[in-house]
Amino acid sequence: MKDAPVSADPERLGEIFAGLDAAPLGILIWSDERRLLYVNDHFRRSCDFPVTVDMSFEAFIATMAHWPECVLPIDPDTWQRDQIANFGSESSQDYLFATGLVLNVTQTPTASGGMTMSFADVTAIKNNERALQLAKETAEATDEAKSRFLRAANHDLRQPLASLKILIYNCIREEDPEHRSDMLHAMGIATSIMEDLLGALLQIGQLDAGRVQPRITSFQLSQLFERLDVQFRHQAREKGLRLSFVSPHGTIATDRALLERILSNFVANAIRFTEVGGIVVGCRREANGLRIEVVDTGRGIRPEDRERVFDEFFRSEEQRAQKSGLGLGLNIVKRLAGLLELPIRLRSEIGRGSIFSVTVPLGNIWHSEANEIEISETVAGEFVGTPIVLVEDDDILRQTMTQLLQRWGIEVHAAAEEAEAIRLIESGVSPRLIVADYNLKTQTGVDVVERLRKAIGAEVPAMIVTADAEPRVIESIRAAGLPVLVKPVSPPRLRVLMHNLLFEPSLAAVAEPTAAESRRNAP
Amino acid sequence: MTNNMEPVPIGSMVPLTGPSAADGAEFRKGMILAVEELNARGGLLGRPIQPIFADTCRQTAEEVVTAARWLIEKHKVHAIVNGYNIGPQNSEYEPIADAGIIYVHANTLLQHHDTVMSDPDRYFGCFMADPADYWYGPGFIKFISWLRDSGQWTPQSNRIAIISGSKPYSIVIANAMAKAAADYGWQVAFGPKIVQTPTHHWRDVLEEVRSTNPAVLANTHFYAVDLAHFQRQFRANPMDCIVYLQYGAMHRTFNDIAQEASDGVIVSSVIGLLRDEMGKRFEARYNARFGEGSTATIGCQSYSNMHHYAVAAAMAGGSGPPGDFEQNRKVAFALKGMIYHSVHGTIRYHPDWQAVVPYPVVTHDPSLGMPHIFYQIQDFRKPLSMIAPEPYNTERFISPPWMSGRAAAARQVATRNPRGLVGL
Repeated sequence: MKDAPVSADPERLGEIFAGLDAAPLGILIWSDERRLLYVNDHFRRSCDFPVTVDMSFEAFIATMAHWPECVLPIDPDTWQRDQIANFGSESSQDYLFATGLVLNVTQTPTASGGMTMSFADVTAIKNNERALQLAKETAEATDEAKSRFLRAANHDLRQPLASLKILIYNCIREEDPEHRSDMLHAMGIATSIMEDLLGALLQIGQLDAGRVQPRITSFQLSQLFERLDVQFRHQAREKGLRLSFVSPHGTIATDRALLERILSNFVANAIRFTEVGGIVVGCRREANGLRIEVVDTGRGIRPEDRERVFDEFFRSEEQRAQKSGLGLGLNIVKRLAGLLELPIRLRSEIGRGSIFSVTVPLGNIWHSEANEIEISETVAGEFVGTPIVLVEDDDILRQTMTQLLQRWGIEVHAAAEEAEAIRLIESGVSPRLIVADYNLKTQTGVDVVERLRKAIGAEVPAMIVTADAEPRVIESIRAAGLPVLVKPVSPPRLRVLMHNLLFEPSLAAVAEPTAAESRRNAP
Repeated sequence: MTNNMEPVPIGSMVPLTGPSAADGAEFRKGMILAVEELNARGGLLGRPIQPIFADTCRQTAEEVVTAARWLIEKHKVHAIVNGYNIGPQNSEYEPIADAGIIYVHANTLLQHHDTVMSDPDRYFGCFMADPADYWYGPGFIKFISWLRDSGQWTPQSNRIAIISGSKPYSIVIANAMAKAAADYGWQVAFGPKIVQTPTHHWRDVLEEVRSTNPAVLANTHFYAVDLAHFQRQFRANPMDCIVYLQYGAMHRTFNDIAQEASDGVIVSSVIGLLRDEMGKRFEARYNARFGEGSTATIGCQSYSNMHHYAVAAAMAGGSGPPGDFEQNRKVAFALKGMIYHSVHGTIRYHPDWQAVVPYPVVTHDPSLGMPHIFYQIQDFRKPLSMIAPEPYNTERFISPPWMSGRAAAARQVATRNPRGLVGL
C-alpha cells in the first residue's frame, strides 16, 4: 500500500492492495525495468527475507542465492545466472528452507513487460507426497518379501515335515514302547524345529526390507550339531546314507538361529544330492575362526554352476528334470551369510562330492550361553530325580505336598491310602523314601510304612507327618523308629529331615518335631 | 523408625565354636571392622551401630534358629548380617520373616531361590549376598573348557569324574556340574558319586575313579581336612587328570596337611577378595586391625554385607526393629535397587531371586556380577594363584606336577576381544 505507485483513485487502489495483502501467499511485482514495484504483507510476514521497494531484481536474486536459509537445487552462481536470464519467463519451482518449509515459487510475466512472483507454502502437500511414496515403496517391498517368504517357507519346512511323516509312519507300526517313545520324542523335536523355522523364515522374508537384526551371542557349536542331527538323521537313514557329526569343541560368536539355517540348508542339500555314501559335518580351526564343513559323497557340482548355485531359483538340469526343490536353499544361505558377514565356500568334484563350508568367528567361552541360566532345583537340586511315595488322604494336602516336592525335583508317587500305594509299588515304583500321614482314615501312617516296606522288600527310609501334636502320639511314632514332623510342615524342616534320611542317615535320628514352632504369625 | 540416638542393634550369626570356628572368627572380625568404620563416620544416620554376635556352633538348623530367635527376641535386632551357616536349609528364615527384619547372609544355597520365590512377600527381607552353590557346577565346566579351548591344557579325553560329599551343598554342585558337562563336550564317566562325609578315607572311591581314566577329577566336598586327605591319597598314586577340590582347599588347613601334595590343585570360590587396589587396601586395613594371621578373604564377606546394609538403611531413612515391616520393606527395596561394588566384586541382587548374580556364568559384565574366582595352588607355601576369570586374574594356569607333560608350555593366544575378556 504505502509502497504502491499512486496513479489511480487512491481509495480504489487501497482496497486492491488490502485484498492482495490478505492473499494466502507472498506476492512480489516487478516492473519492466526489473525493479520491485510491490511486496505484499504476507511475504513480509512469512519470509524473513530483506526486500525493499525499488530494489533491483539482480540484487534480489543475488541475496537469495547466498541466503543461508534456502537450499538451492544447483550451485548458487549458476542458479543466480539462470534466474537473471529467465526474468519475465514463466516458471514454477519448489524450494526447501532450512526450517523445513517448502515454498513453491511461480513467476508469471505481466502485460507491461514486468513480472509477478508468488510464494506459496506447499510444505504439507510435499510431506504428504513423501509419506505416500514411502508407504508405496514399503508396500511393494512387503509384497515382494511375502512372496519370498511363502516360497522359502515351502522349501525349508519340507525337511522336518518329511522327518515327521517318516516318524509317524514308523510309529504307527512300532510296538516296542521304548522305540515308540524315542520316536515321539523325535517328533516333538521335529515340530519344534518347524516352529523355529517359521520364525526364522519370517525374518528371512524380511531380509530384503532390511529388517532382520542378527543377535550375536557366544555359544557352543556342539549344541547346534545336536539339533541338526535330530533334524536330519531319519531322512538320511531312510535314504541309506551315513550322517555323522564330528563333535566340536569350541565357542563361536554369531547369530545362533541364522547359522542353524545356513547349516541345515547345507545338510538338506547334501542329503538330497547324495545317493551313495554319506555326509560328514565337522569343523577345523582357521586363523580367523572355525570353518564348519558339510562334506558329502554326492554327484558334485559342475564348475560352471559353482557360482550360480547360490542364485535365487537356481536348479541344476537334473533338478529341473526331477522337479525337485525350488532352488532357494543356497540363496537363503547366501543372504544370511552376507548379513552375518560369514564367508561361505564351495569345493566340488563331479562324481565325488562337494564340500560346503562357512567360517564363523570364535567366541568367548565365558560368555557362552547354555542351559544353565535356568536355575532351579528341578535341574540340579540335591533331590533331583529321587523317587518318593507319599501317602496322604487329604486331597488338598496331598496336592500341595506333591507340588512342593516336585518343585524340589523329586519324582513324587502320591497315594490316598495304603492299597493305592501298594499298587504303585507293584507297578514298579521303587521309592528311596516314604512320607506318610499319621491319621489315615482306617489306619496309622506307621502301619502303612511297615506294609510298604514289606511290599518293597527293603527297609526304605520313611517319615511321618502328623497334625496331631499330642506328646503321646509323637512318642508312639518315635517308638516305632520313625522321625516325625508336625503339620503345617515347615519346608526347610522337611528338607533337612529328607536330606538326612537320604544322604546322612546318622543325622536323621536327631531330627526333632516342630510342634511348638509357630509359623506365619506375623501381622 | 525412631529418631533417638540410641544404638542400632545388628545381629550376626557366626560359628564361633565347632568345625567352622575358623571362618566364624573371620566373619566376626569383618563385622567389627565394618561397624567401626561406619561408626567413625557417624553410624546409621547419626545412630551408632551395635553388633551382637550369636554363636551357631555346628550350624545345625536348631542352633541357627535358636540364634536368630535370641537375636530377635532378646536384642530386638533390626537386621541380621553375617557370613554363611551351612545346615539350617533356610529354617532360620521363618523367625526372621515373622519379625519382618532384614537378613543378609552368604549361605551359598540353591534353596534360597526356592524359598524366596515361593512367597516373595513373606521373605522380602531375606537376601543371599553371594551366588548359589549351583553356579559352581556350570562355572567349573566353563573353566575347564576354557583351559582346553584356549590351548592351556590338552585333556587326554573328554571324560570327567565327579565325587560329592553328603551335604546338600556338595550334592547340588555335583548335580549342576554333571548337568552342564555335555553342553561343553564333556562326558561324565563317573558319578556324581556321593560319599558319606566327613571322612578321611578316599582310597576306595579313587580306585573306582581310576578304572574310568578321567581327564578331570572333581570333588565337590568342602571340608578342608577331608580334602587334604583326599589329595594326599590321590598323589600317592596319581591319575593323568586335573584335580578340582571345591572351596575347602582354599583354607590354610588344607595346605598344612596336604603340604607339597597340594601343588597343582584347582580351587574356586563364588565369593572371594579381589587382588585389585580396593581389595589390597582392605586386606591391609584388616591385617592392621586384627594381625597378620587373619584371613581377609573370608572376613570380607560379612564386612561388605554390613556396609551394603548400612548404605541401604540410610537410603531408606533408617532401619526398623522387629515388627516394623514398613520401614524394613524400604530397606529391602534399597538393597535390591542398589548395585554395590564391594571388595570382592559386585553385589547386585537379582530382582526375583534376592540373591547375587554371578559373573561370568550369568552376567557377562563384570561390573554387574560377583566373580566366580578360580585359583591354583602353585606353591603350597605361597598364596593361591588367581587364574580366572578375566579381568580379575593375576596369574596363569600351570600344568600340575603329577600330569603328563602334554600341555607343559602354556600357550599365549592372541585375544580378539578389545575388552581383553576373551583369552582365546
